[in-house]
Amino acid sequence: MSTENITTTAAISPEQAERIKRVVCEILEIGEDEVTETSLFIEDHEADSLRAIEILASLEKEFGVVIDQAELPKMVNLRGVHLVTADAAGW
Amino acid sequence: MTTEPRLVITAWSAVSPYGIGRESFVDGIASSTSTVTELDQDLWQGPTSRGCLVPGFDIREVLGAKGTRKMDRVTALVVSTVGQLLADGGISTGEDTALVLGSTMGSAQSIMDFTKDVLVRELPYLVDPAKMPNSVMNCAAGACAIWHGLKGPNTTLAGGQAAGLMALDYARRLLIHDRAAKVLVGAAEEYSTERAWLDRHSWPAETPDRVLGEGCAVLLVETADQAALTGGRTPLAEVLATESRVYLEGDPTKVLIACVQSVLARAGVRADEVWAAVPSSVGDRGRLESGVVRSLFGAEVVDRVPTGDVLGDTGAASAALRIAAVLSVAEHSPEAAGRVALVTSADRYGTVACSLLRLADPASS
Repeated sequence: MSTENITTTAAISPEQAERIKRVVCEILEIGEDEVTETSLFIEDHEADSLRAIEILASLEKEFGVVIDQAELPKMVNLRGVHLVTADAAGW
Repeated sequence: MTTEPRLVITAWSAVSPYGIGRESFVDGIASSTSTVTELDQDLWQGPTSRGCLVPGFDIREVLGAKGTRKMDRVTALVVSTVGQLLADGGISTGEDTALVLGSTMGSAQSIMDFTKDVLVRELPYLVDPAKMPNSVMNCAAGACAIWHGLKGPNTTLAGGQAAGLMALDYARRLLIHDRAAKVLVGAAEEYSTERAWLDRHSWPAETPDRVLGEGCAVLLVETADQAALTGGRTPLAEVLATESRVYLEGDPTKVLIACVQSVLARAGVRADEVWAAVPSSVGDRGRLESGVVRSLFGAEVVDRVPTGDVLGDTGAASAALRIAAVLSVAEHSPEAAGRVALVTSADRYGTVACSLLRLADPASS
């Protein structure tokens, strides 16, 4: 987990990654062991565009940040979400 | 003039205060016991303490946890009723299967919750996006189609208490114009705190014995030819005709009588051929409607099928549930075979509709 984080996203703590994963898994209605850094929300976890918006809105609430909807195309998996969230939060 | 194909009802199901599924409804109608219960005040903090709710209708328990996280009650009622119907009859879905759903306004609770969030949250757009679809009227029909793979035309029809009959007529048009091979047609209404408040403030002078109910009834309608082709599906009733009108002067009596006469004329049925007439009978308006229908057909014909008052005021679901009640009673009444049933609805907002069905005669098929 932590080693994977270090190699994929630069400035995100394990605690932040854990919170992000919890938010994403609740919305995708999957267990936290079912998702990986690179598994795709739509192709692998049956998400749709509404779920993607929901993930964005929930992260905004969770971290008190504002995420531009133009970032949505990058948020295809946890790795993408880490990058976008870290960017929005200035981590 | 071309001859329209004969349309038949070949399956149905209901989720109602009598329980989930067809059997519980047939048994409930046979007993015609009242379904009024004291509401759990922790769950339902509305203006009244009584209601006619589907017993034990916890969405996640009934439909499972997957896909139901943000599902609202009316959507769950429809998904569950259609699921019961499809499972009972082993009925396939797909491109050829349409859904026509009658409604009042979708889920009043969802609409008002979402609007409230816009007003009270820190910023107006900080709403829960997953709840946005619930706030539009066609959410239930759309979600139901996705859930059950109904890929034919998907229609939501707002018609208040008459919605079920108008949906039946819409289904007829889909079938005669070959837009679908079979149509799931019904209507649904949920109980909710917000609906109860809307009702209280809209009709403060209404008789206090009127209790709000909820439920959903869905019929499978197809052409007689299609039903024969698929085998296995025996017609339960033929859909003869539906007529609807509006009344503007506050009292639906004259318009209701004219509507009944025109539906009989359209179907070529004499008044004395009507075996059962089923008006709504809930509240002041229902009592008026019931009185008019009674004056036209007599007590015996009107009392054959327990009218909607045993389920409370089920709003848009009312007429669809009463068609289900006709089919329930016919199931246990050999003398109903080949006879005609009339379902009427005089909605408080100015719509009157009547549908005629001819109950199947197993001996002649």
